[in-house]
Amino acid sequence: MSRTYQRRHARVDKAAPWLSMFARLVLAGVLIAAGLLKVVDPQSSVQAVRGYELLPPTLETAVGWGLPFVEIALGLLLFAGVFTRVVAAAVAVLVVVFIAAVVSAAVRGLTIDCGCFGGGGTVGIGQTEYGWEIVRDLGLLLLAVWLVWKPRSRLSLDRADLEELE
Amino acid sequence: MSPQPKGRSQSRAEQEELLASRLRERRVFAIVAAALVVVFLGAGIAFQSWRTSRAPSAVPAAASDSAGFAPVTLTSGKPILLGRANAPLVIALYEDFHCGHCADFEEEFGPTLAAAQQTGTVAVELYPMAFIDDGSRAASNAMACAAEAGFGQGYYRALFANASLRWSSEQLTTLAEQVTGGAPASFDTCVTTAAHADWVQSINTAAAANGVTQTPTMFVDNQRVDIATVTPASLNTMISEAASK
Repeated sequence: MSRTYQRRHARVDKAAPWLSMFARLVLAGVLIAAGLLKVVDPQSSVQAVRGYELLPPTLETAVGWGLPFVEIALGLLLFAGVFTRVVAAAVAVLVVVFIAAVVSAAVRGLTIDCGCFGGGGTVGIGQTEYGWEIVRDLGLLLLAVWLVWKPRSRLSLDRADLEELE
Repeated sequence: MSPQPKGRSQSRAEQEELLASRLRERRVFAIVAAALVVVFLGAGIAFQSWRTSRAPSAVPAAASDSAGFAPVTLTSGKPILLGRANAPLVIALYEDFHCGHCADFEEEFGPTLAAAQQTGTVAVELYPMAFIDDGSRAASNAMACAAEAGFGQGYYRALFANASLRWSSEQLTTLAEQVTGGAPASFDTCVTTAAHADWVQSINTAAAANGVTQTPTMFVDNQRVDIATVTPASLNTMISEAASK
């Protein structure tokens, strides 16, 4: 192994906890904001889920009402920095599901707003923003995957040494 | 000899034991945290269920809103007129009672419109579309019942003031009680039997025929107005210009 590689490696190791803190706080902020914006309007939230035409009615209601609370819970856990790796993995799974749902809506030719941050449901033809919605979600996915890989971060409640042992 | 750091004085076995106990603690903590998340989720769903199925809250202004407006006779495909028939300016509104942006629109522009309706400057032609869910249909039907019974304007505002409700028959009749202080029995029957279901459908058809594909949509004097560009002040200007013509 060359010395430059080692030096670069050491620098990455030093920067990683800071990058992870950044990823954690950005993800936490996005999740909490997304959850709160939906929690205040349960009707719209259910309609946003219904817009995707993927679930039976009972589940649409349950997801519409429950999902915002899941987002807030995951956001708070990330903010505090507890069980970062597990929580980040859960967020990654959630974001993958979101991306799949948006892609399926686009493929089926539905014209909906993703309802990611409140709102949602049918919009006019030409008013869909699937491309941007997917790019944004891919960015969030990247942050979550980074955290699964490097869960140790600054300003967290995690005993980082234990986190990496498990 | 100065005391050595704790970790160093321990044997390897002790260190491993300490680590194992920390991991055990961590696992217990994880289970507690997971349980808390589940409880949080359950409580959240219960909270939303309560929030959408509770009784509507009274809207003080709603009772006087309909004062002086004549009861409406419903015609298939024709909107509900809210205001005085001879008003110089007609504003057509296409709204669904479960559309979030419609509730926002009503919150922002409702007071301006209601004041102009009261003074007789504006009459609103309401197309209460119902395309979102069962609650939309029930609320649209009840809106028609209320307009027939002569308290349409107050009921309209009270419906949007309680937009987070799911609109069961019971909620819709309770709302009428609050608006009128005693709705006629015929209103309750009209709501529970969905008496105007066909009219509601005809409004959806009429909206599509008029090129309306989303709510809220507003036409001021037959001109479609982009709601995103309007403020209560600019709406007021439009109203007073039309009134002075």
